Amino acid sequence: MEKMIEIWLNGLCTGSIYALLALGFVLIYKSTGILNFAQGEMAMAGAFLCYTFAMLLDMPYVVAFLIALAIGALLGAFLDALFFRKMVGEPIFSTIMVTVGLASILSCVGGILWGHDVHAIRSPFTHRTASLGGIVLSQGALYTIGASLVLIVIFVLFFNRSLLGIAMKGTAEDPHTSGLLGIPVKRIHMLSWAIGSAVAVVAGIFLAEQSFVRLSMSHTGIKAMAAAILGGMESIGGAILGGILIGIVEGLAANYLSGMEIGDFQFGDVKDVAAFGIMILVLMVRPQGIFGKRKVERV
Amino acid sequence: MAEHFKISYRQDMALFQNLWVRIWLGILILLLLMAPWFLSRYPLSILNEMGIAVIGALGLNLLTGYTGQISLGHGAFVAIGGYSSALLTAKGGIPFLISLPLSGLMAAGLGLIVGVPSLRLKGLYLALGTLAFGFIVEYVLFHWGLTQGDMGMAVKKAQVLGFTFKTEKAYFYLIVSLASLAALGAKNLARTKIGRSFVAIRDRDIAAEAMGIPLARYKIMAFGISSFYAGVAGCLLAHYQKWIVPGAFDLSLSIAYIAMIILGGLGTILGSILGAILITGIPHGILFLTDVLKAGYPALSGLVVDFKLGIFGLIIVLTLLLEPRGLYGIYSRIKIYWKTWPYRY
Repeated sequence: MEKMIEIWLNGLCTGSIYALLALGFVLIYKSTGILNFAQGEMAMAGAFLCYTFAMLLDMPYVVAFLIALAIGALLGAFLDALFFRKMVGEPIFSTIMVTVGLASILSCVGGILWGHDVHAIRSPFTHRTASLGGIVLSQGALYTIGASLVLIVIFVLFFNRSLLGIAMKGTAEDPHTSGLLGIPVKRIHMLSWAIGSAVAVVAGIFLAEQSFVRLSMSHTGIKAMAAAILGGMESIGGAILGGILIGIVEGLAANYLSGMEIGDFQFGDVKDVAAFGIMILVLMVRPQGIFGKRKVERV
Repeated sequence: MAEHFKISYRQDMALFQNLWVRIWLGILILLLLMAPWFLSRYPLSILNEMGIAVIGALGLNLLTGYTGQISLGHGAFVAIGGYSSALLTAKGGIPFLISLPLSGLMAAGLGLIVGVPSLRLKGLYLALGTLAFGFIVEYVLFHWGLTQGDMGMAVKKAQVLGFTFKTEKAYFYLIVSLASLAALGAKNLARTKIGRSFVAIRDRDIAAEAMGIPLARYKIMAFGISSFYAGVAGCLLAHYQKWIVPGAFDLSLSIAYIAMIILGGLGTILGSILGAILITGIPHGILFLTDVLKAGYPALSGLVVDFKLGIFGLIIVLTLLLEPRGLYGIYSRIKIYWKTWPYRY
């Protein structure tokens, strides 16, 4: 029983990271209509930035965290100004492929700057555990869950209650009309890229907290995409639920399926493809996701 | 001027537009036939790689450039072709001549299955679906006992009617003839009813359906044909390299194929060929450059792998931003400029 709860809690912890990353996707998608394939690479860059400031330059963890966050936001705004401002209204193939190309460029630059080695960030939570009635969890995991929850609440409030959030929703719905209504569309787009990238950086640093800092951590971005699809690309609540569900399914798959063999097929690290299996299933059965609305196309 | 205008449909549809195209093609064929006698092994091996890439890129361009269906899993179909042929020739004892089309059909069969969701999915959802498919194929190849996972598989040399392909030269003729056949097939397909339906679906699928094009049939057909090309490319790759590992067919291969068709020009045959040649050539160019610069900067050689994918990414981004029609667009612009010189319109 206790093992079961531990699996679920650990799944919840990974899931909240996926949820954060998925939130970044949804944020950018909701306001610019672009699906950013480079989100995982942004997370990777954020984790490496935090590592650079905290470990190589010996800054306090919180300062390093904040600097990484600021650089991430700036990078997002910069990318928008450089590439995506010109891409608004282009066919979806071009926008997707520009982000795919960007992902390759970011991981190339990451490889040149930081190399392919595996690093660890020493944070205030490292090697500390908390036990709740016999269930042992690392403090880092608890903080991750807590911080994700707080961020998620903030974003839900932001989108539903604040003027800026509603303006973002409006630009996504119809950039032309919202421009006519006096919403500064370009600035809103830039802002959502900045916020989306900053969220990715936070997710990357939390992810590094749980495992390591390495180039290949950018693959998490694709799993988070599965989370966003599962929940529905246009729903913040959906992204969160999708992320947590995928985290838990991964945890369960890792514990119960990993050692299995069927014929001469060994399941091995089945954890890594569970998300993709779910993604294909969702796309086949209900492409709009759990909370998504079916799109009606205007001719 | 008059000869520059097409005055009949027959002229517009002609496979080779005029006499000059035919002359240049003749010269190209002659050069290709003679190339093995002048080139040493290394440049020949590059040409072989390029030829295989041409086949794969033609397939992806038929799907993405002509039909407008985004695929981020083209590398997976190449893998399926390669592994099917490797297994068929090694475990099944089937000769290469039969396993070559069979591996294409195998990939096409799976392509048809992936194509079915494309009836409901569009744009980014299709991109994600094919991406997930690519990861799952890679996972299966890694974990299936039959494909020996990480260790990879040895593949037999290609054999046709008792003749075994051993040298680069022999493979060069095999690959170039198959690549030419593939290009001819794609060019022909593009000007038939099927090709025109593909283009109609790309431009506006709802309008195409309203005009009486059965969307389901043609979308699935596009996936099948594209995967067939990929499978044949994979089969050739496997028999040419004589060794395959699942890691060679990951997302970066799919991205390389996308870079080829974007750089060359979406929805053009010439573009697919140009793009495939350039994108395959670039890593060799980087290798050559680092070799030259190694004396001065020894740290450089470790970065080659990083550079490759980064440059592909940069090419994709820059082409889409600056010249979305790719090299073919530049070529046709220059052609029109000279044709109408000194007038501009």
